[in-house]
Amino acid sequence: MRHPFYLGYGLLLLSLCGLAEYRGWSFLSVNEVKNIPKSMRDNPGAYRSHYGYYARHVGGK
Amino acid sequence: MSAPHPPHVKALNCPSCGAPLTIHGMQHTLTVVCANCLSVLDAKDPNLQVLQKFEAQQRIQPLIPLGTRGKVRGDTYEVIGFQVRGIEVDSIIYTWAEYLLFNPYKGFRYLTEYQGHWNDVTVLRTLPEVSALGARPVAKYLGETYKHFQTAEAETRYVLGEFPWQVRVGEKVTAMDFVSPPRMLSSETTAAETTWSLGEYIPGARVWEAFKLPGKAPSPVGIFENQPSPYKGSPKHVWVIFLILLAALFVVAQVTNALSAKQVVLQGHYSFTPGSTGPPSVVTPTFELKGRPCDVEFAIRTDLTNNWAYFHFTLMNTDAGEASEFGREVSYYSGSDSDGSWTEGGPTDDVLIPTVPAGHYYLLIEPEMDATAAPMNYSIELRRDVPAMSYFWIAALLLLIPPIFTTFRSITFESRRWGESDYAPSSD
Amino acid sequence: MSTAANCPNCGAPIRFRWSSAVQTVCEFCRSILVRRDVNLEKVGTVADLPEDSSPIQIATEGIFHNRPFVAIGRILYEYEQGGWNEWHVVFSDGVSGWLSDAQAQYAVSFLVPMQGLPPAESLSRGQQFRWNNGLYEVTCLTRARYRGVEGELPFEYWDKEEVLFADLETHGVGFATLDYSDPEPLLFLGEPVEFDALRLKNLRQFEGW
Repeated sequence: MRHPFYLGYGLLLLSLCGLAEYRGWSFLSVNEVKNIPKSMRDNPGAYRSHYGYYARHVGGK
Repeated sequence: MSAPHPPHVKALNCPSCGAPLTIHGMQHTLTVVCANCLSVLDAKDPNLQVLQKFEAQQRIQPLIPLGTRGKVRGDTYEVIGFQVRGIEVDSIIYTWAEYLLFNPYKGFRYLTEYQGHWNDVTVLRTLPEVSALGARPVAKYLGETYKHFQTAEAETRYVLGEFPWQVRVGEKVTAMDFVSPPRMLSSETTAAETTWSLGEYIPGARVWEAFKLPGKAPSPVGIFENQPSPYKGSPKHVWVIFLILLAALFVVAQVTNALSAKQVVLQGHYSFTPGSTGPPSVVTPTFELKGRPCDVEFAIRTDLTNNWAYFHFTLMNTDAGEASEFGREVSYYSGSDSDGSWTEGGPTDDVLIPTVPAGHYYLLIEPEMDATAAPMNYSIELRRDVPAMSYFWIAALLLLIPPIFTTFRSITFESRRWGESDYAPSSD
Repeated sequence: MSTAANCPNCGAPIRFRWSSAVQTVCEFCRSILVRRDVNLEKVGTVADLPEDSSPIQIATEGIFHNRPFVAIGRILYEYEQGGWNEWHVVFSDGVSGWLSDAQAQYAVSFLVPMQGLPPAESLSRGQQFRWNNGLYEVTCLTRARYRGVEGELPFEYWDKEEVLFADLETHGVGFATLDYSDPEPLLFLGEPVEFDALRLKNLRQFEGW
């Protein structure tokens, strides 16, 4: 079989696609916050998200 | 039986300068060159009459010394003659070397060398069929089609050793080359006859090995007319493999799609009035994600018109005490101008968040809008295990790179080859 | 016809390898002997053959298209670009053919009776002829000098002066020669052959090879 490298490369891409689908990968970068105390979890209204350190989002026109 | 004594190597002296000469080609040799005084002598004359004396600014040393024996195609041949011939193209003279090889049983063959490119050449006794295919002539031989590469007048410029023909420095032939890499058909036409020969490109290393020459063969410069392309056949093969891989990719995409649960885990309709600050606008009820860690799709639908909204999401995992935060902007503008109506952006957004493990979750939604904007109604729908088709598109594009690259390299190689031919696009 | 006789000139024993031989050369006195009826007649003398480099000799054996043959005679020619041999070969079925050796390029051909062969003056390079469904093109016209004979020949052939030969090639495996030694031209049709394909045995030895 000619071009074994290309075939290998193609199969690798296919496997990566399959893995990405299985594991649910995404390009979105998500900010993870760990170790949230129970008190906060039980009282959702008290949670302050970390987006405070974004500049005031100015979007649109 | 009156058989003459077996032919042997003849040792003689040049009548012009007295230098010793030997004749190895037996009775086949018609002319022999005295290397010392550069005289072409009549080998059939007992007195070795001088037929021509030529001059050379520089003595040329053949890369394969005369008298060397080597194995070519399984038979031993001896180098008995050497000549340098040249053609003139655009006032530049290009020369190449030819080595005459002899075996008393198998006869004669030639090795030609040009800038490190070697060819193994034999004379044909079958006539190729020459026809004009479009603007360019082709020659057909043994079922193979050879394309015309070059026609030029070749002049003999330097000779050493022995020849089975009347060699003279300055003699000219019209030479036509037809190529079908790695082979080449050449015709040489004089007033008396046309001779066809078939050449096959061989690497210099083969010549060095065959004749046990010291050192290494000189590296080839440029691309020779019948030099085989390292990409020969490759573009086709690579594209076929591409199609196979693309088909496999399509199948995997379909299977992925079929196997994805696409399960709705949360749905809600909400409103947001800008200007109000303080606590997060929306806290959704708790929902459960079951199964393997997989992606979760957020589908945002709004009734925005000529406005924007920024949604900040916090997905809280109550089991693990962890949260994932991210933001999405949705903007939608439309209008009319002299060119007609236009739109920009859209009132909806779909995004996938990666690898969310099983567990209990709730979602905090904090929208943000321009303080003066009208209130917005929106809905959020979360679905787990949704296929991400973008990966397949990316993979398809990545798969395209090697075949495009190979095709490009092959085309570049061939254009360099044909750049030396009669058909090169003229630069001047 | 008998295969044994005596040379009318010197009495030496003559043995014919081929029963249909018309001419032979006495090895001892070099008389050219022609077989007329039951007797051998001396018609001339052949000078010593010039030195030549053919690897084939009388009694060399070979195979052509699975048919074994033996070289039993030859005619030697010389021309401006060298010399060549026409070896007379006889096959095991008695058929007579020719194995030419020109600078170690070999071809086997057979005399083919043919009407309407072109006269010598009309020949030119590039001319085409159709014989036995083959298209032949003239590639070479050679004015050759006969230099000698040896062994058994199927016809009388000696003391020729300058002889015109035309070589013809085809686009396939085909080769022809037009021989103008006699007033009536002769056509020989055959094919070029590679040395290895002939599987020659009993060849001449060359010093150093």
